[in-house]
Amino acid sequence: MNIFLRELKANRKALIIWSVCMILFVLSGMGKYTAYSGGGASSEIFNKLPFTMRVLLGIGSFDVSTMSGFYALLFPYLEVTAAIHAALLGSSILAKEERDKTTEFLITRPISRTTIITSKLLAALVNILIINIVTFVSSIIMVSAYNKGNDITSEIILFLLSMLIVQLIFFSLGSFLSAFMKKPKASGSIATSILIGGFAISKVTDLTEHLNILNILSPFKYFSYVDIVEGKPLSLGIIILSLLLVATFTIFTYYFYCKRDLNI
Amino acid sequence: MNVIEIKNLTKNYNKSRGIINVNLNVEQGEVFGFIGPNGAGKSTTIRTLLGLIYPTSGSATIFGKNCIEHPQVRSELGYLPSEVFYYDNMRVMDLLKYSASFYKKDCTKRIQELADIMDLDLKKKIDDLSYGNKKKVGIVQGLLHEPKLIILDEPTSGLDPLMQQKFFDLIAQENQKGATVFFSSHILSEVQKMCSRVAFIKEGKIIKLEKMSTLQENSYKKISIEAKSILTTDMFPIHGISKFEVNENTANFIFKGNINSILKKISEIELRNISIEEPDLEEIFMHYYTKED
Repeated sequence: MNIFLRELKANRKALIIWSVCMILFVLSGMGKYTAYSGGGASSEIFNKLPFTMRVLLGIGSFDVSTMSGFYALLFPYLEVTAAIHAALLGSSILAKEERDKTTEFLITRPISRTTIITSKLLAALVNILIINIVTFVSSIIMVSAYNKGNDITSEIILFLLSMLIVQLIFFSLGSFLSAFMKKPKASGSIATSILIGGFAISKVTDLTEHLNILNILSPFKYFSYVDIVEGKPLSLGIIILSLLLVATFTIFTYYFYCKRDLNI
Repeated sequence: MNVIEIKNLTKNYNKSRGIINVNLNVEQGEVFGFIGPNGAGKSTTIRTLLGLIYPTSGSATIFGKNCIEHPQVRSELGYLPSEVFYYDNMRVMDLLKYSASFYKKDCTKRIQELADIMDLDLKKKIDDLSYGNKKKVGIVQGLLHEPKLIILDEPTSGLDPLMQQKFFDLIAQENQKGATVFFSSHILSEVQKMCSRVAFIKEGKIIKLEKMSTLQENSYKKISIEAKSILTTDMFPIHGISKFEVNENTANFIFKGNINSILKKISEIELRNISIEEPDLEEIFMHYYTKED
Protein backbone atom coordinates (compact mmCIF):
# COMPACT_ATOMS: atom_id res chain seq x y z
CA MET A 1 0.00 0.00 0.00
CA ASN A 2 2.81 2.41 0.84
CA ILE A 3 4.48 1.83 -2.52
CA PHE A 4 1.14 2.39 -4.27
CA LEU A 5 0.60 5.72 -2.52
CA ARG A 6 4.22 6.72 -3.05
CA GLU A 7 3.93 6.03 -6.79
CA LEU A 8 0.71 8.01 -7.05
CA LYS A 9 2.44 10.94 -5.42
CA ALA A 10 5.60 10.60 -7.49
CA ASN A 11 3.59 10.58 -10.73
CA ARG A 12 1.20 13.34 -9.73
CA LYS A 13 3.00 16.17 -11.47
CA ALA A 14 3.48 14.24 -14.72
CA LEU A 15 -0.15 13.18 -14.63
CA ILE A 16 -1.32 16.77 -14.30
CA ILE A 17 0.84 17.84 -17.25
CA TRP A 18 -0.39 14.98 -19.45
CA SER A 19 -4.00 15.68 -18.45
CA VAL A 20 -3.65 19.34 -19.34
CA CYS A 21 -2.14 18.31 -22.69
CA MET A 22 -5.08 16.03 -23.41
CA ILE A 23 -7.56 18.76 -22.53
CA LEU A 24 -5.76 21.30 -24.74
CA PHE A 25 -5.61 18.73 -27.52
CA VAL A 26 -9.35 18.17 -27.42
CA LEU A 27 -9.96 21.90 -27.07
CA SER A 28 -7.81 22.93 -30.03
CA GLY A 29 -8.97 19.98 -32.14
CA MET A 30 -12.64 20.69 -31.64
CA GLY A 31 -12.04 24.38 -32.31
CA LYS A 32 -11.36 23.47 -35.94
CA TYR A 33 -14.72 21.74 -36.34
CA THR A 34 -16.42 24.93 -37.49
CA ALA A 35 -14.07 25.06 -40.49
CA TYR A 36 -14.94 21.49 -41.47
CA SER A 37 -18.65 21.67 -40.79
CA GLY A 38 -19.20 25.11 -42.30
CA GLY A 39 -20.76 23.48 -45.33
CA GLY A 40 -20.62 24.91 -48.80
CA ALA A 41 -17.19 25.30 -50.38
CA SER A 42 -15.09 23.66 -47.68
CA SER A 43 -17.01 20.35 -47.58
CA GLU A 44 -16.90 20.33 -51.36
CA ILE A 45 -13.11 20.51 -51.21
CA PHE A 46 -12.88 17.59 -48.80
CA ASN A 47 -15.19 15.49 -50.89
CA LYS A 48 -13.24 16.16 -54.07
CA LEU A 49 -9.85 15.28 -52.57
CA PRO A 50 -8.32 12.08 -53.94
CA PHE A 51 -8.63 9.15 -51.50
CA THR A 52 -4.85 8.97 -50.82
CA MET A 53 -4.88 12.60 -49.84
CA ARG A 54 -7.87 12.08 -47.58
CA VAL A 55 -6.11 9.17 -45.87
CA LEU A 56 -2.98 11.22 -45.33
CA LEU A 57 -5.06 13.98 -43.77
CA GLY A 58 -6.66 11.34 -41.56
CA ILE A 59 -10.09 11.83 -43.09
CA GLY A 60 -10.31 8.53 -44.93
CA SER A 61 -13.91 7.69 -45.65
CA PHE A 62 -15.41 9.72 -42.83
CA ASP A 63 -17.83 12.51 -43.43
CA VAL A 64 -15.99 15.15 -41.47
CA SER A 65 -18.80 17.63 -41.68
CA THR A 66 -20.72 15.52 -39.16
CA MET A 67 -19.61 15.52 -35.55
CA SER A 68 -19.00 11.77 -35.33
CA GLY A 69 -16.94 11.83 -38.53
CA PHE A 70 -14.93 14.76 -37.28
CA TYR A 71 -14.33 13.12 -33.92
CA ALA A 72 -13.09 10.01 -35.74
CA LEU A 73 -10.60 12.25 -37.56
CA LEU A 74 -9.42 13.80 -34.30
CA PHE A 75 -9.46 10.63 -32.20
CA PRO A 76 -6.33 8.82 -33.52
CA TYR A 77 -4.17 11.70 -32.37
CA LEU A 78 -5.71 11.61 -28.89
CA GLU A 79 -5.20 7.88 -28.87
CA VAL A 80 -1.54 8.08 -29.91
CA THR A 81 -0.87 10.66 -27.21
CA ALA A 82 -2.53 8.57 -24.53
CA ALA A 83 -0.71 5.48 -25.81
CA ILE A 84 2.67 7.26 -25.61
CA HIS A 85 1.85 8.24 -22.04
CA ALA A 86 0.95 4.63 -21.23
CA ALA A 87 4.06 3.18 -22.88
CA LEU A 88 6.38 5.60 -21.09
CA LEU A 89 4.65 5.07 -17.78
CA GLY A 90 4.73 1.29 -18.13
CA SER A 91 8.40 1.22 -18.96
CA SER A 92 9.46 3.74 -16.33
CA ILE A 93 7.40 2.64 -13.36
CA LEU A 94 9.67 -0.34 -12.73
CA ALA A 95 12.80 0.82 -14.55
CA LYS A 96 13.10 4.13 -12.75
CA GLU A 97 14.26 2.40 -9.59
CA GLU A 98 17.21 1.06 -11.53
CA ARG A 99 17.72 4.32 -13.41
CA ASP A 100 17.77 6.35 -10.18
CA LYS A 101 19.72 3.62 -8.39
CA THR A 102 17.10 3.30 -5.70
CA THR A 103 16.77 -0.45 -6.25
CA GLU A 104 18.93 -1.28 -3.26
CA PHE A 105 16.69 0.82 -1.05
CA LEU A 106 13.47 -0.73 -2.28
CA ILE A 107 14.47 -4.36 -2.66
CA THR A 108 16.00 -4.65 0.81
CA ARG A 109 12.64 -3.83 2.40
CA PRO A 110 10.74 -6.83 3.78
CA ILE A 111 8.54 -7.18 0.70
CA SER A 112 8.66 -9.49 -2.28
CA ARG A 113 9.35 -8.35 -5.82
CA THR A 114 5.82 -9.48 -6.68
CA THR A 115 4.37 -7.03 -4.16
CA ILE A 116 6.52 -4.25 -5.59
CA ILE A 117 5.35 -4.96 -9.16
CA THR A 118 1.70 -5.22 -8.14
CA SER A 119 1.74 -1.94 -6.21
CA LYS A 120 3.52 -0.11 -9.00
CA LEU A 121 1.35 -1.47 -11.79
CA LEU A 122 -1.82 -0.60 -9.87
CA ALA A 123 -0.59 2.95 -9.28
CA ALA A 124 0.21 3.29 -12.98
CA LEU A 125 -3.19 1.86 -13.87
CA VAL A 126 -4.85 4.62 -11.85
CA ASN A 127 -2.83 7.17 -13.89
CA ILE A 128 -3.93 5.57 -17.14
CA LEU A 129 -7.58 5.54 -16.10
CA ILE A 130 -7.36 9.19 -15.12
CA ILE A 131 -5.92 10.14 -18.52
CA ASN A 132 -8.74 8.22 -20.16
CA ILE A 133 -11.42 9.84 -17.99
CA VAL A 134 -9.95 13.32 -18.52
CA THR A 135 -10.01 12.77 -22.29
CA PHE A 136 -13.55 11.44 -22.08
CA VAL A 137 -14.91 14.29 -19.99
CA SER A 138 -13.20 17.01 -22.05
CA SER A 139 -14.42 15.36 -25.27
CA ILE A 140 -18.00 15.27 -24.02
CA ILE A 141 -17.86 18.90 -22.94
CA MET A 142 -16.20 20.19 -26.11
CA VAL A 143 -18.34 18.13 -28.45
CA SER A 144 -21.54 19.35 -26.84
CA ALA A 145 -20.26 22.90 -27.16
CA TYR A 146 -19.84 22.60 -30.93
CA ASN A 147 -22.30 19.90 -31.90
CA LYS A 148 -25.39 21.02 -33.74
CA GLY A 149 -26.36 17.59 -35.04
CA ASN A 150 -26.97 14.19 -33.42
CA ASP A 151 -25.76 13.43 -29.92
CA ILE A 152 -22.60 11.28 -30.16
CA THR A 153 -22.00 10.44 -26.48
CA SER A 154 -22.37 6.71 -27.11
CA GLU A 155 -19.81 6.88 -29.94
CA ILE A 156 -17.40 8.77 -27.68
CA ILE A 157 -17.79 6.10 -25.00
CA LEU A 158 -16.87 3.43 -27.55
CA PHE A 159 -13.92 5.47 -28.84
CA LEU A 160 -12.58 5.97 -25.34
CA LEU A 161 -13.15 2.34 -24.42
CA SER A 162 -11.06 1.31 -27.43
CA MET A 163 -8.48 3.89 -26.36
CA LEU A 164 -8.34 2.35 -22.88
CA ILE A 165 -7.56 -1.04 -24.38
CA VAL A 166 -4.84 0.45 -26.59
CA GLN A 167 -3.46 2.25 -23.53
CA LEU A 168 -3.38 -1.03 -21.62
CA ILE A 169 -1.61 -2.81 -24.48
CA PHE A 170 1.19 -0.24 -24.65
CA PHE A 171 1.37 0.06 -20.89
CA SER A 172 1.86 -3.67 -20.46
CA LEU A 173 4.29 -3.72 -23.39
CA GLY A 174 6.37 -1.02 -21.69
CA SER A 175 6.43 -2.78 -18.36
CA PHE A 176 7.27 -6.09 -20.02
CA LEU A 177 10.21 -4.51 -21.88
CA SER A 178 11.55 -2.89 -18.72
CA ALA A 179 11.37 -6.20 -16.88
CA PHE A 180 12.82 -8.21 -19.74
CA MET A 181 15.62 -6.00 -21.06
CA LYS A 182 19.14 -6.05 -19.69
CA LYS A 183 19.20 -2.27 -19.95
CA PRO A 184 15.78 -1.30 -18.61
CA LYS A 185 16.60 2.38 -19.07
CA ALA A 186 16.24 1.90 -22.83
CA SER A 187 12.82 0.27 -22.54
CA GLY A 188 10.99 3.60 -22.84
CA SER A 189 12.51 4.46 -26.19
CA ILE A 190 11.99 0.92 -27.51
CA ALA A 191 8.35 0.94 -26.44
CA THR A 192 7.68 4.31 -28.05
CA SER A 193 9.50 3.21 -31.22
CA ILE A 194 7.21 0.19 -31.45
CA LEU A 195 4.28 2.53 -30.87
CA ILE A 196 5.31 4.95 -33.62
CA GLY A 197 5.92 1.97 -35.91
CA GLY A 198 2.43 0.70 -35.13
CA PHE A 199 0.97 4.09 -35.91
CA ALA A 200 2.84 4.26 -39.21
CA ILE A 201 1.53 0.81 -40.13
CA SER A 202 -2.00 1.94 -39.37
CA LYS A 203 -1.56 4.79 -41.86
CA VAL A 204 -0.12 2.50 -44.52
CA THR A 205 -2.97 0.02 -44.21
CA ASP A 206 -5.43 2.88 -44.48
CA LEU A 207 -4.00 3.53 -47.93
CA THR A 208 -4.23 0.04 -49.34
CA GLU A 209 -6.22 -3.00 -48.38
CA HIS A 210 -3.59 -5.43 -49.68
CA LEU A 211 -1.54 -5.01 -46.54
CA ASN A 212 -4.35 -5.47 -44.04
CA ILE A 213 -2.52 -8.45 -42.56
CA LEU A 214 -0.05 -5.91 -41.08
CA ASN A 215 -2.82 -4.55 -38.89
CA ILE A 216 -2.06 -7.28 -36.39
CA LEU A 217 1.12 -5.32 -35.59
CA SER A 218 -0.78 -2.10 -34.99
CA PRO A 219 -3.07 -1.92 -31.96
CA PHE A 220 -4.39 1.32 -33.45
CA LYS A 221 -6.16 -0.79 -36.03
CA TYR A 222 -7.59 -3.38 -33.63
CA PHE A 223 -10.86 -1.49 -33.48
CA SER A 224 -12.51 -0.04 -36.55
CA TYR A 225 -13.35 3.63 -36.25
CA VAL A 226 -15.66 3.32 -39.23
CA ASP A 227 -17.73 0.78 -37.29
CA ILE A 228 -17.86 3.04 -34.27
CA VAL A 229 -19.02 5.98 -36.37
CA GLU A 230 -21.67 3.74 -37.90
CA GLY A 231 -22.87 2.91 -34.39
CA LYS A 232 -21.67 -0.69 -34.29
CA PRO A 233 -20.37 -2.01 -30.94
CA LEU A 234 -16.72 -2.95 -30.39
CA SER A 235 -15.89 -6.50 -31.44
CA LEU A 236 -16.00 -8.68 -28.34
CA GLY A 237 -13.53 -11.13 -29.87
CA ILE A 238 -10.97 -8.39 -30.42
CA ILE A 239 -11.50 -7.08 -26.90
CA ILE A 240 -10.83 -10.55 -25.48
CA LEU A 241 -7.75 -11.06 -27.67
CA SER A 242 -6.42 -7.63 -26.71
CA LEU A 243 -6.92 -8.28 -23.02
CA LEU A 244 -5.20 -11.64 -23.43
CA LEU A 245 -2.25 -9.80 -24.96
CA VAL A 246 -2.23 -7.41 -21.99
CA ALA A 247 -2.38 -10.36 -19.59
CA THR A 248 0.50 -12.09 -21.38
CA PHE A 249 2.70 -9.01 -21.22
CA THR A 250 1.82 -8.55 -17.56
CA ILE A 251 2.60 -12.15 -16.66
CA PHE A 252 5.93 -11.82 -18.46
CA THR A 253 6.58 -8.62 -16.50
CA TYR A 254 6.21 -10.51 -13.24
CA TYR A 255 8.14 -13.50 -14.51
CA PHE A 256 11.19 -11.63 -15.81
CA TYR A 257 11.35 -8.99 -13.10
CA CYS A 258 11.27 -11.64 -10.38
CA LYS A 259 13.83 -13.78 -12.13
CA ARG A 260 16.53 -11.39 -13.16
CA ASP A 261 19.47 -9.74 -11.43
CA LEU A 262 18.65 -6.13 -10.78
CA ASN A 263 21.08 -3.48 -11.98
CA ILE A 264 22.54 -1.58 -9.10
CA MET B 1 22.97 -19.52 16.15
CA ASN B 2 24.21 -18.21 12.84
CA VAL B 3 22.52 -15.04 11.68
CA ILE B 4 24.24 -15.13 8.31
CA GLU B 5 25.10 -18.37 6.57
CA ILE B 6 26.82 -18.35 3.21
CA LYS B 7 27.58 -21.76 1.72
CA ASN B 8 29.67 -22.36 -1.39
CA LEU B 9 28.29 -19.18 -2.88
CA THR B 10 29.34 -18.49 -6.44
CA LYS B 11 28.17 -15.66 -8.66
CA ASN B 12 29.33 -15.12 -12.23
CA TYR B 13 28.42 -12.07 -14.24
CA ASN B 14 28.28 -13.32 -17.79
CA LYS B 15 31.97 -13.76 -18.45
CA SER B 16 33.46 -11.64 -15.70
CA ARG B 17 34.23 -12.94 -12.25
CA GLY B 18 31.94 -12.21 -9.36
CA ILE B 19 32.60 -14.36 -6.32
CA ILE B 20 33.82 -17.94 -6.17
CA ASN B 21 32.86 -20.49 -3.55
CA VAL B 22 32.44 -18.11 -0.63
CA ASN B 23 31.77 -19.68 2.76
CA LEU B 24 30.92 -17.56 5.78
CA ASN B 25 29.04 -17.80 9.03
CA VAL B 26 28.22 -14.83 11.21
CA GLU B 27 27.10 -15.66 14.72
CA GLN B 28 24.41 -13.86 16.62
CA GLY B 29 25.66 -10.79 18.44
CA GLU B 30 29.05 -10.56 16.80
CA VAL B 31 30.56 -7.79 14.75
CA PHE B 32 31.96 -9.40 11.65
CA GLY B 33 34.39 -7.60 9.40
CA PHE B 34 34.49 -8.23 5.67
CA ILE B 35 37.64 -6.84 4.18
CA GLY B 36 38.83 -6.60 0.64
CA PRO B 37 40.08 -4.13 -1.96
CA ASN B 38 37.68 -2.48 -4.39
CA GLY B 39 36.19 -4.95 -6.82
CA ALA B 40 37.05 -7.97 -4.70
CA GLY B 41 33.42 -9.10 -4.46
CA LYS B 42 32.28 -7.62 -1.16
CA SER B 43 29.22 -5.89 -2.56
CA THR B 44 28.43 -8.87 -4.79
CA THR B 45 28.39 -11.11 -1.73
CA ILE B 46 26.10 -8.75 0.16
CA ARG B 47 23.77 -8.23 -2.80
CA THR B 48 23.42 -11.95 -3.32
CA LEU B 49 22.78 -12.40 0.38
CA LEU B 50 20.03 -9.77 0.32
CA GLY B 51 18.34 -11.10 -2.82
CA LEU B 52 19.15 -8.27 -5.21
CA ILE B 53 20.93 -10.69 -7.50
CA TYR B 54 20.72 -14.43 -7.86
CA PRO B 55 23.55 -16.82 -7.02
CA THR B 56 25.00 -18.96 -9.79
CA SER B 57 25.38 -21.74 -7.24
CA GLY B 58 25.44 -22.18 -3.50
CA SER B 59 23.19 -20.54 -0.95
CA ALA B 60 23.04 -17.50 1.30
CA THR B 61 20.61 -17.01 4.16
CA ILE B 62 19.88 -14.55 6.93
CA PHE B 63 18.16 -15.81 10.09
CA GLY B 64 18.19 -19.20 8.41
CA LYS B 65 16.04 -18.09 5.49
CA ASN B 66 16.65 -17.16 1.89
CA CYS B 67 15.77 -13.53 1.18
CA ILE B 68 14.11 -14.21 -2.14
CA GLU B 69 11.83 -16.99 -0.96
CA HIS B 70 11.10 -15.30 2.36
CA PRO B 71 11.21 -11.53 1.84
CA GLN B 72 9.67 -11.01 5.27
CA VAL B 73 12.95 -12.08 6.83
CA ARG B 74 14.31 -8.68 5.83
CA SER B 75 12.07 -6.96 8.39
CA GLU B 76 14.88 -7.42 10.92
CA LEU B 77 17.52 -6.20 8.50
CA GLY B 78 19.10 -2.79 8.36
CA TYR B 79 21.23 -2.19 5.30
CA LEU B 80 23.48 0.69 4.43
CA PRO B 81 24.64 0.46 0.81
CA SER B 82 28.07 1.64 -0.23
CA GLU B 83 26.64 4.30 -2.50
CA VAL B 84 23.51 5.97 -1.28
CA PHE B 85 20.90 7.03 -3.79
CA TYR B 86 17.42 8.11 -2.85
CA TYR B 87 14.39 9.63 -4.49
CA ASP B 88 15.75 13.08 -5.25
CA ASN B 89 12.57 15.06 -5.04
CA MET B 90 11.69 13.79 -1.57
CA ARG B 91 12.47 15.50 1.68
CA VAL B 92 14.65 13.65 4.15
CA MET B 93 11.75 13.22 6.56
CA ASP B 94 9.45 11.91 3.83
CA LEU B 95 12.04 9.38 2.74
CA LEU B 96 12.60 8.18 6.30
CA LYS B 97 8.86 7.91 6.87
CA TYR B 98 8.52 6.01 3.62
CA SER B 99 11.30 3.71 4.75
CA ALA B 100 9.66 3.27 8.16
CA SER B 101 6.31 2.45 6.57
CA PHE B 102 7.67 -0.93 5.54
CA TYR B 103 8.07 -2.02 9.15
CA LYS B 104 5.29 -2.76 11.53
CA LYS B 105 6.35 -0.38 14.26
CA ASP B 106 6.35 3.31 15.05
CA CYS B 107 9.79 4.66 14.25
CA THR B 108 9.14 8.40 14.58
CA LYS B 109 10.95 8.75 17.89
CA ARG B 110 13.94 6.72 16.75
CA ILE B 111 14.22 8.78 13.54
CA GLN B 112 14.40 11.96 15.61
CA GLU B 113 17.00 10.47 17.97
CA LEU B 114 19.19 9.25 15.14
CA ALA B 115 18.90 12.51 13.24
CA ASP B 116 19.98 14.40 16.35
CA ILE B 117 22.98 12.13 16.85
CA MET B 118 24.04 12.33 13.23
CA ASP B 119 23.27 16.05 13.02
CA LEU B 120 20.95 15.61 10.05
CA ASP B 121 18.46 18.23 8.86
CA LEU B 122 15.18 16.39 8.25
CA LYS B 123 13.54 19.23 6.36
CA LYS B 124 16.00 19.39 3.47
CA LYS B 125 15.41 17.90 0.08
CA ILE B 126 17.52 14.85 -0.72
CA ASP B 127 18.55 16.62 -3.90
CA ASP B 128 20.25 19.42 -1.98
CA LEU B 129 22.30 17.19 0.30
CA SER B 130 26.04 16.69 0.00
CA TYR B 131 27.38 13.16 -0.36
CA GLY B 132 28.27 12.97 3.33
CA ASN B 133 24.79 14.09 4.32
CA LYS B 134 23.20 11.55 2.00
CA LYS B 135 25.30 8.96 3.75
CA LYS B 136 23.84 10.12 7.06
CA VAL B 137 20.35 9.66 5.63
CA GLY B 138 21.46 6.15 4.74
CA ILE B 139 22.62 5.49 8.29
CA VAL B 140 19.39 6.75 9.85
CA GLN B 141 17.38 4.83 7.26
CA GLY B 142 19.29 1.64 8.05
CA LEU B 143 18.86 1.88 11.81
CA LEU B 144 15.45 3.48 12.32
CA HIS B 145 13.58 0.22 12.81
CA GLU B 146 16.14 -1.12 15.30
CA PRO B 147 17.06 -4.13 13.21
CA LYS B 148 18.60 -7.30 14.62
CA LEU B 149 21.02 -7.58 11.72
CA ILE B 150 22.90 -4.57 10.43
CA ILE B 151 24.76 -4.88 7.15
CA LEU B 152 27.11 -2.04 6.35
CA ASP B 153 28.82 -1.74 2.99
CA GLU B 154 31.69 0.74 3.26
CA PRO B 155 29.75 2.89 5.69
CA THR B 156 32.31 5.54 6.49
CA SER B 157 33.14 6.83 3.02
CA GLY B 158 32.09 10.47 2.77
CA LEU B 159 31.80 10.98 6.53
CA ASP B 160 34.16 13.33 8.32
CA PRO B 161 36.20 11.85 11.24
CA LEU B 162 33.87 13.28 13.87
CA MET B 163 30.84 11.72 12.20
CA GLN B 164 32.71 8.46 11.71
CA GLN B 165 33.28 8.35 15.45
CA LYS B 166 29.61 9.05 16.19
CA PHE B 167 28.68 6.40 13.70
CA PHE B 168 30.95 3.80 15.30
CA ASP B 169 29.54 4.64 18.73
CA LEU B 170 26.05 4.18 17.34
CA ILE B 171 26.88 0.81 15.85
CA ALA B 172 28.58 -0.27 19.10
CA GLN B 173 25.41 0.67 21.02
CA GLU B 174 23.22 -1.30 18.64
CA ASN B 175 25.58 -4.23 19.01
CA GLN B 176 25.34 -4.04 22.80
CA LYS B 177 21.56 -4.09 22.49
CA GLY B 178 21.99 -7.40 20.70
CA ALA B 179 22.25 -6.55 17.02
CA THR B 180 24.56 -8.58 14.83
CA VAL B 181 26.74 -6.45 12.58
CA PHE B 182 28.24 -7.36 9.23
CA PHE B 183 30.76 -4.70 8.33
CA SER B 184 32.29 -4.56 4.87
CA SER B 185 35.18 -2.22 4.24
CA HIS B 186 38.44 -1.77 2.43
CA ILE B 187 40.04 -0.07 5.41
CA LEU B 188 41.45 -2.61 7.85
CA SER B 189 41.98 -0.21 10.73
CA GLU B 190 38.32 0.82 10.98
CA VAL B 191 37.25 -2.80 11.02
CA GLN B 192 39.93 -3.61 13.59
CA LYS B 193 38.36 -1.22 16.08
CA MET B 194 35.15 -3.11 16.51
CA CYS B 195 35.08 -6.50 14.86
CA SER B 196 35.41 -9.82 16.61
CA ARG B 197 36.20 -11.75 13.45
CA VAL B 198 37.36 -10.76 10.01
CA ALA B 199 37.19 -12.38 6.59
CA PHE B 200 39.51 -11.28 3.82
CA ILE B 201 38.27 -11.46 0.26
CA LYS B 202 40.36 -10.97 -2.84
CA GLU B 203 39.47 -11.55 -6.47
CA GLY B 204 36.21 -13.16 -5.45
CA LYS B 205 37.68 -15.67 -3.02
CA ILE B 206 37.87 -15.67 0.74
CA ILE B 207 41.57 -15.91 1.40
CA LYS B 208 41.53 -15.82 5.17
CA LEU B 209 39.14 -15.83 8.08
CA GLU B 210 40.68 -14.75 11.34
CA LYS B 211 39.71 -13.82 14.85
CA MET B 212 40.41 -10.20 15.55
CA SER B 213 42.36 -11.12 18.67
CA THR B 214 44.85 -13.03 16.51
CA LEU B 215 45.07 -10.14 14.11
CA GLN B 216 45.70 -7.70 16.89
CA GLU B 217 48.49 -9.80 18.33
CA ASN B 218 49.94 -9.78 14.90
CA SER B 219 49.33 -6.22 14.00
CA TYR B 220 50.83 -5.28 10.70
CA LYS B 221 53.14 -2.32 10.51
CA LYS B 222 54.84 -0.82 7.56
CA ILE B 223 58.22 0.33 8.77
CA SER B 224 60.72 2.53 6.98
CA ILE B 225 64.06 3.31 8.55
CA GLU B 226 66.98 5.42 7.53
CA ALA B 227 70.18 4.60 9.34
CA LYS B 228 73.51 6.34 9.64
CA SER B 229 75.36 3.24 8.48
CA ILE B 230 74.87 0.93 5.53
CA LEU B 231 72.09 -1.63 6.14
CA THR B 232 72.12 -5.30 5.16
CA THR B 233 69.33 -7.71 4.33
CA ASP B 234 69.98 -10.04 7.25
CA MET B 235 70.00 -7.44 9.97
CA PHE B 236 66.64 -8.41 11.53
CA PRO B 237 66.81 -12.13 12.22
CA ILE B 238 63.29 -12.30 13.63
CA HIS B 239 60.09 -13.90 12.42
CA GLY B 240 57.35 -11.85 10.78
CA ILE B 241 59.25 -9.67 8.36
CA SER B 242 58.18 -9.53 4.76
CA LYS B 243 58.77 -7.46 1.65
CA PHE B 244 62.14 -6.44 2.98
CA GLU B 245 63.78 -3.95 0.67
CA VAL B 246 67.16 -2.43 1.34
CA ASN B 247 68.86 0.41 -0.45
CA GLU B 248 72.20 1.38 1.13
CA ASN B 249 71.20 3.01 4.41
CA THR B 250 67.42 2.87 4.03
CA ALA B 251 65.15 -0.12 4.51
CA ASN B 252 61.41 -0.73 4.05
CA PHE B 253 59.49 -3.75 5.24
CA ILE B 254 56.22 -5.04 6.64
CA PHE B 255 56.31 -6.46 10.12
CA LYS B 256 53.71 -8.80 11.55
CA GLY B 257 54.06 -9.78 15.20
CA ASN B 258 54.73 -8.32 18.59
CA ILE B 259 55.68 -4.71 18.05
CA ASN B 260 58.10 -4.72 21.01
CA SER B 261 60.39 -7.31 19.53
CA ILE B 262 60.98 -5.35 16.35
CA LEU B 263 61.43 -2.07 18.25
CA LYS B 264 64.16 -3.63 20.37
CA LYS B 265 65.97 -4.68 17.24
CA ILE B 266 65.58 -1.30 15.62
CA SER B 267 66.79 0.50 18.71
CA GLU B 268 70.14 -1.26 18.32
CA ILE B 269 70.73 0.72 15.14
CA GLU B 270 71.77 4.34 15.01
CA LEU B 271 68.87 5.95 13.13
CA ARG B 272 68.44 9.13 11.19
CA ASN B 273 64.73 8.69 10.63
CA ILE B 274 61.94 6.21 11.17
CA SER B 275 58.31 5.95 10.15
CA ILE B 276 55.86 3.32 11.28
CA GLU B 277 52.60 3.24 9.37
CA GLU B 278 49.53 1.11 8.96
CA PRO B 279 50.17 -0.85 5.81
CA ASP B 280 47.45 -0.55 3.25
CA LEU B 281 45.35 -3.54 2.56
CA GLU B 282 47.08 -4.48 -0.67
CA GLU B 283 50.29 -4.93 1.23
CA ILE B 284 48.71 -7.22 3.79
CA PHE B 285 47.14 -9.21 1.02
CA MET B 286 50.50 -9.49 -0.66
CA HIS B 287 51.76 -10.80 2.62
CA TYR B 288 49.10 -13.50 2.63
CA TYR B 289 49.88 -14.43 -0.91
CA THR B 290 53.60 -14.77 -0.34
CA LYS B 291 52.83 -16.91 2.71
CA GLU B 292 50.61 -19.19 0.68
CA ASP B 293 53.17 -19.78 -2.06
